[in-house]
Amino acid sequence: MKTYLLAGFALLLACCYVGNAFAADSGAGEVEMLVFPDSYSAASVSNGGTISGVVTFEGDLPEMKKLEITKDQAVCGATDKYDESLVVGEGNALKNTIVYLIDISKGKDFDKATKLEIDQKGCKFSPHVQIVPVGVRVTMLNTDKVNHNVHIFSSINKPVNKQQTKNRRKMPLAGVKKAEGPVAVKCDIHGWMSAWIAYVPHPYFAVTNEKGEFTLEGVPAGTYKLGYWHEACGTNSDSPASVTVEAGSTATQNFTLKLK
Amino acid sequence: MVNRNVVTLLMLVFGLLCAVMLVHAQNAPEASERGKEVYEQSCAHCHGTEGRGDGSAAENLLPKPRDFTRGLYKIRSTESGQLPTDQDLFDIITIGMPGSSMPGWETSLSADERWEVVAYIKTFYNGFKESEAPPRQISLEGKIAYSEQSVETGKELYVELGCVECHGNVGRGDGTSAPTLTDEWGFQTWPANLAQSWNFRGGADTEAIFKRFIGGIAGSPMPAFEGDSFLHFGLSVEESKRLTELENKDEMTEVEETESEKFYEKMDVAVDLALNRAEGIELTAAEQQTYDDAMKVVYEKSWHLANYVKSLAPEERPEPAIGKNVLRSQYVQGELPGMEDTAWEVLQSRHFPLVGQVVIEPRQFNPTIDSVNIKSFYNDTEVAFLFMWDDRTHTTGDEIDESTGKPLEDALAIQFPVKVPQGPTAPKPYFLWGGRLPVYLWHWKASAPEQVVEITAKGINNAEVQAAQGALQAQGAYTDGQYKLWVKRALKTDDKKDLQLEPGVFVPIAFSAWDGANGDVDTKRVVSSWYTFVLEPVPSSRRFVYPPLIAVLSLGLLFGLRAVVQRRNS
Ligand code: HEC
Ligand code: HEC
Repeated sequence: MKTYLLAGFALLLACCYVGNAFAADSGAGEVEMLVFPDSYSAASVSNGGTISGVVTFEGDLPEMKKLEITKDQAVCGATDKYDESLVVGEGNALKNTIVYLIDISKGKDFDKATKLEIDQKGCKFSPHVQIVPVGVRVTMLNTDKVNHNVHIFSSINKPVNKQQTKNRRKMPLAGVKKAEGPVAVKCDIHGWMSAWIAYVPHPYFAVTNEKGEFTLEGVPAGTYKLGYWHEACGTNSDSPASVTVEAGSTATQNFTLKLK
Repeated sequence: MVNRNVVTLLMLVFGLLCAVMLVHAQNAPEASERGKEVYEQSCAHCHGTEGRGDGSAAENLLPKPRDFTRGLYKIRSTESGQLPTDQDLFDIITIGMPGSSMPGWETSLSADERWEVVAYIKTFYNGFKESEAPPRQISLEGKIAYSEQSVETGKELYVELGCVECHGNVGRGDGTSAPTLTDEWGFQTWPANLAQSWNFRGGADTEAIFKRFIGGIAGSPMPAFEGDSFLHFGLSVEESKRLTELENKDEMTEVEETESEKFYEKMDVAVDLALNRAEGIELTAAEQQTYDDAMKVVYEKSWHLANYVKSLAPEERPEPAIGKNVLRSQYVQGELPGMEDTAWEVLQSRHFPLVGQVVIEPRQFNPTIDSVNIKSFYNDTEVAFLFMWDDRTHTTGDEIDESTGKPLEDALAIQFPVKVPQGPTAPKPYFLWGGRLPVYLWHWKASAPEQVVEITAKGINNAEVQAAQGALQAQGAYTDGQYKLWVKRALKTDDKKDLQLEPGVFVPIAFSAWDGANGDVDTKRVVSSWYTFVLEPVPSSRRFVYPPLIAVLSLGLLFGLRAVVQRRNS
């Protein structure tokens, strides 16, 4: 035993002594965050307005990166999978952009009827970006008959990393206490699986569809800062758009995003 | 003695470094001055003055010294998502984390100082202040004793729960997900080799193992296994069996439909209670009972699993092959056993620990190969060795190392001096592939498993493939995270550059090993210093040399005597 201790200690000292011989790659880059109001109170909103628009991508489109499927080929490799950090459709429509009100402190309540789910079919998370209200449970689906581990990289809320075995078709996760995000979601067993969850304190959040469209409904009349977040294109938190909504009418705000 | 001196010297350097660090320390306002002092003196050069894990020594270390600002602790007695208890922190600081550079402080800090430093590192993360309730601990009640039966049950769970995905078929950390894992900070990380439990960060006793997979290892990819990670959470063992039966039916009758519905409802209730609990909603007494009943089944299974994991490693790390554990090649008459021969099973292997090579660039600070284990037989003309070492990946050189342009590939080199030093004080060649005194090497690579190349070297970067090859027969195989290499050679060869072997002579032996998947190439590798091995001489009664010799001698003596007597008589 002594020999190991000595050897270990010598090695350790050698490491300290040798100093800056190698630099390891630094960890993942900082993720830009959403901006949440200090407080939010829900009330019924009558005759609210709507904010809608289209988010498009500008710039040279990098080739979609095909993901390397390293295991469970029969299930996970049945269809080709692509990196979803930048999904651009027809007319440069940018999918998976979160568009939201930054400075709202009073407005409608969450639609409690919607069931929030993230599917893992074919070893791919869908949706790639999921909005989850604070305190609401999101259910992880697993119909593939392979094991997954649901790893949510929260730092404000409790981090989650929990095994969802192949027999567990639906695994609900506890609601979180605080607004946070977006936080990364991974499955370490299938290292290519990647998604985002935004834990939000109010319902004025939307994620753009294939056509790059978003809609925020039931917005009390007023002028708001309209923010966006996109995995590859970043945020406009420094200079959000200003949008005025009138009761019962629709305001339009489009965004054009470039790579970070 | 030389070793002692080197260590003393290094300690001096270390002390000096610490002193330098102290001078640079910043004054953060802090409750416990003493805790801060201890921290800055003993911990900051790794964990950083601000607790971010970025001390001056951190650069070369993997796993990285912990970043305390995230509140992520691997070794906890608490449930998934919970902070550690103060006792957890105290214990890990006392004992250290085997398999990493985190030292234990039992002898160098007093218990008081360790408690002070616990209080101090907690100030780096606000969560400790904010949490209202004490962290929830994992219950160790109802421990199931170790038994063959329990291990069998645990083995099934190991597969059912998917431990196998990362830890591999027999637990050597070679699961199909192993090569792609990264930790919370984006650094590559490997699943623990469950057969080498001496490297477990949090200890190898059954309770420790139990806590590790129930609570998960925060900051690493290792998930938590609690509640509904287990099959049919909320059902009793019998109910679960019945439901499996029903689920396996092609078609259910209406009665069976209702029966299974009932089971599903029961499971939903248990899951709901678990979620309420996680969300901080108080359970009623009845609900608590339902929850406890559900958890009882889970905990029972968990003890079986912990017993299985425990069964995968020896009770303790084997002693290194020195002193009474020296490698002694055993004499056999006739043919030496081949690689798969059961004859090997009668031998106990000898254990040779390996460490990262940190003397010559490029260095290996984060080794993945722990040791090599060896058995050996010899007969009148040949010697055979069986080398066994664990490596989580089978890498045969398909990938090229960017900085050297050479293939990344698993390999082993066995090193001897060209000439055996006469006597224990005679100088041996330098342990890193020789120098002024040359070494004789057997170099095996995973891409050519049937081939061992003989090399003469006068330094780690001064090696020459010998002109005459073919003295060695070899066979290599990789299964379930372990390499086996069988090598056979004649005791004596005609090549002057080869080592010549003789029973009873202690021969220095040393090793280098490469794990291609860990970036090992050239001098970046794991190594050992010199050990020795010996062809164990056979007891003289079984030997063929001495008895005939003695017979001839005594016969000669007899003839001589007779001649003398005859001459006298005549
Ligand atoms: C030589 C570098 C080094 C020194 C000195 C050092 N540590 Fe560590 N420490 C580490 C490393 C590396 C880890 C992470 C190991 C791992 O993650 O497997 C660690 C982890 C820890 C952890 C986390 C335990 C857990 O459960 O995750 C604590 C607490 C800790 N160290 C406290 C201390 C304290 C207190 C001191 C000083 C008395 C100290 N360390 C000195 C390298 C060091
Ligand atoms: C997603 C991959 C993954 C799965 C699945 C997994 N592990 Fe691990 N396990 C790891 C990694 C990575 C480590 C190393 C953690 C570290 O120290 O950073 C580890 C470490 C361990 C350790 C060593 C703990 C210590 O104190 O160092 C044990 C024991 C263990 N796992 C048991 C299990 C069991 C039992 C299961 C199944 C119930 C399991 N693991 C499932 C990845 C996994």
